[in-house]
Amino acid sequence: MNERSHHRTTALGVVFGSELLVYLAFLLFLRVEGAAGTLFVLTGIGAGWYLYDKMTAVQDFVSARFAGEKVFAMVLGLILLAVTPLFLRDTPYLIHLCLMAGIYVMLATGLNFQLGSTNIVNLATAASYGVGAYASALLNVHTGSGFWIAIFAAGGAAAFMGFILGLPTTKTKDYYLTLVTIAFGLIVYLLLNNLSWTGGPNGIGDIPPPSILGYSFRDELHFFNVRLPYQANYYYLVLFFVLLYTLISERLHHSRTGLTWNAIREDEIAARCAGIHVSRYKVLSFCINCFLDGVTGAVYAHYVCFISPENFQFMLSVVVVTMVILGGMDNTFGVVFGAVLLTLLPEKFRIFQEFRLLMYGIIVISTLVFRPQGLFPQKLRRYD
Amino acid sequence: MELIQQTINALLLGCNYTLIAIGFSLFFGALNIVHFSHGDVCILGSFVVLILYKLGSSLGLFAAWPAWIVAPGVILTAAAVTGLMGALFEKLAIKPFRHAPELMVLVATVALGLIIREALRIFYPQGANPQIFPTLLPDGGFERGALFLRYDSLIILVATVVLIILVFLFVERTRVGSAIRAVSQDTEAAMMMGISVNGTIAVTFLLGSALGAVAGILNGAYISIIRYDMGLMGGIKGFSAAVVGGLGNIYGAILGGLMLGFVETFASALIPGGTAYKDVFSFLVVIFFLVFKPSGIVGEKVFEKV
Repeated sequence: MNERSHHRTTALGVVFGSELLVYLAFLLFLRVEGAAGTLFVLTGIGAGWYLYDKMTAVQDFVSARFAGEKVFAMVLGLILLAVTPLFLRDTPYLIHLCLMAGIYVMLATGLNFQLGSTNIVNLATAASYGVGAYASALLNVHTGSGFWIAIFAAGGAAAFMGFILGLPTTKTKDYYLTLVTIAFGLIVYLLLNNLSWTGGPNGIGDIPPPSILGYSFRDELHFFNVRLPYQANYYYLVLFFVLLYTLISERLHHSRTGLTWNAIREDEIAARCAGIHVSRYKVLSFCINCFLDGVTGAVYAHYVCFISPENFQFMLSVVVVTMVILGGMDNTFGVVFGAVLLTLLPEKFRIFQEFRLLMYGIIVISTLVFRPQGLFPQKLRRYD
Repeated sequence: MELIQQTINALLLGCNYTLIAIGFSLFFGALNIVHFSHGDVCILGSFVVLILYKLGSSLGLFAAWPAWIVAPGVILTAAAVTGLMGALFEKLAIKPFRHAPELMVLVATVALGLIIREALRIFYPQGANPQIFPTLLPDGGFERGALFLRYDSLIILVATVVLIILVFLFVERTRVGSAIRAVSQDTEAAMMMGISVNGTIAVTFLLGSALGAVAGILNGAYISIIRYDMGLMGGIKGFSAAVVGGLGNIYGAILGGLMLGFVETFASALIPGGTAYKDVFSFLVVIFFLVFKPSGIVGEKVFEKV
């Protein structure tokens, strides 16, 4: 009996310690300034991760402890994420970075259904994200419907777009399918840029911020005696959506639909022989991905309150694809990690000014060369 | 007359797309990959011309030679330099993924394109601004009634046709060319016949990148202004042309390039207010082709083996 409670304490300690360590490394990475400091912290994190990656015994030990104490690990993680704005309240910019990372996590988890689960290289993320943002912005500017209705409209509009985009892709594969999505994304961008009712290149301004019971998200957040900048409101909003998306993504991954997508990815003909309606499931993956992108677009539009076609360019789709592939396909945790890393890295490289995108490109290529399966490869499905 | 004028414009645009598309087809034939930074390599070629021109003028090399020697010399040197760079890019960013999933090459080449664009923007003096391209081709033209023909457009047309014939002869008639075809048909069988696969792939990238550089240079010479990020759209158009024609097939690249050129030119000429939407039309055509004839105009239908 005593033995067992001792084991329990060790397990809790391991979970607590490792989560705190990762969290502190994350905060340090966010707060560090100056070129030398950033490089130093980055090297430290990279070295730590490399060692962890090499020591499989430690890995197995830690992941077994996490598996045993799932609830505790999740509650602790939630608390740590919830208190993050408190540590960053003197610099709203850092909160802004965290919530932008959250928005990219939302886009990347959405894309993972296609790229990771079904192996459909969809390079039209910017289009569905943009359609969602424009739908909610137009609805709000013209009818004043409010944020909470607009997100469903945005999701619906984007899902409809996904349906339209999905139909031709049932007849194409591989690079051809990728080219269809590229062409489609460019068409949407050109239309947004040229149509008069989308505001053309000037975009749409004065999008009202979301509000709950008369409390606007643009007000400062008072928390007992602590005042948080208004970005904290959006941080919690995005955090809510990120949790929702990861939950949806986990549930779908473990559902029959997720299994079907994996079957299509492994071998389309075999899947068809097993009685799977391949086209229907492919279009479904488009609809779900685009719906989630559309909601994300609405959140973004109501955060920045001004959108223009420049926010929804082809490069954005490429960046999201990179996040999924670098993080690890069909692995929700890996995708989240990849999205956070690739959002924060270029921002941290702002100190290198001009060179930040260059370094970003070099890091992506060198990571792929050394680790072609992504940072967190897909785990085998376990049924026990 | 208007029709002839527009046809010439369409042919010019088509020539440009064709030269880029041939590169895509060559790379796809050799490695079954899509080189998403090819458009940026093309623009790199026109920047190499800018650098060569500045170097040459400051050293006073050009004063001694007449323009009709200097211009082709500069263009060919730039194409050769870009070709070598293209072969180097293959070694750095594509070769490491030869046995990895295809997606990795896609991301790696996209990242490579980003690196090329950023390097041009940062390291070329005032690279973020549009650059004025030197007048390589003669000014002026001749009039025949309402028709006005610029000399440079004639030169571009002739040069493209000559280049395409040369490439065709190279691929069909030379030893290296047959090695390229062998590798694209079956890499392993080619290896067993004693063909150096790596060497052949390097030659393929050299050739494709050099052709792309010529496309970038001729385009720069025609519109006389270039910018570091023009390669992104150029690359997508070239890839579209290659796919519409039939990926991996040189005739297909020519047909696809011409078709995109015609669609784009006539959409902006004939449809009122169509100029802003010309790319929309060409991409709609691309999607239409991909759905109803995914093998392209001249491509063979591929049956999937289980």
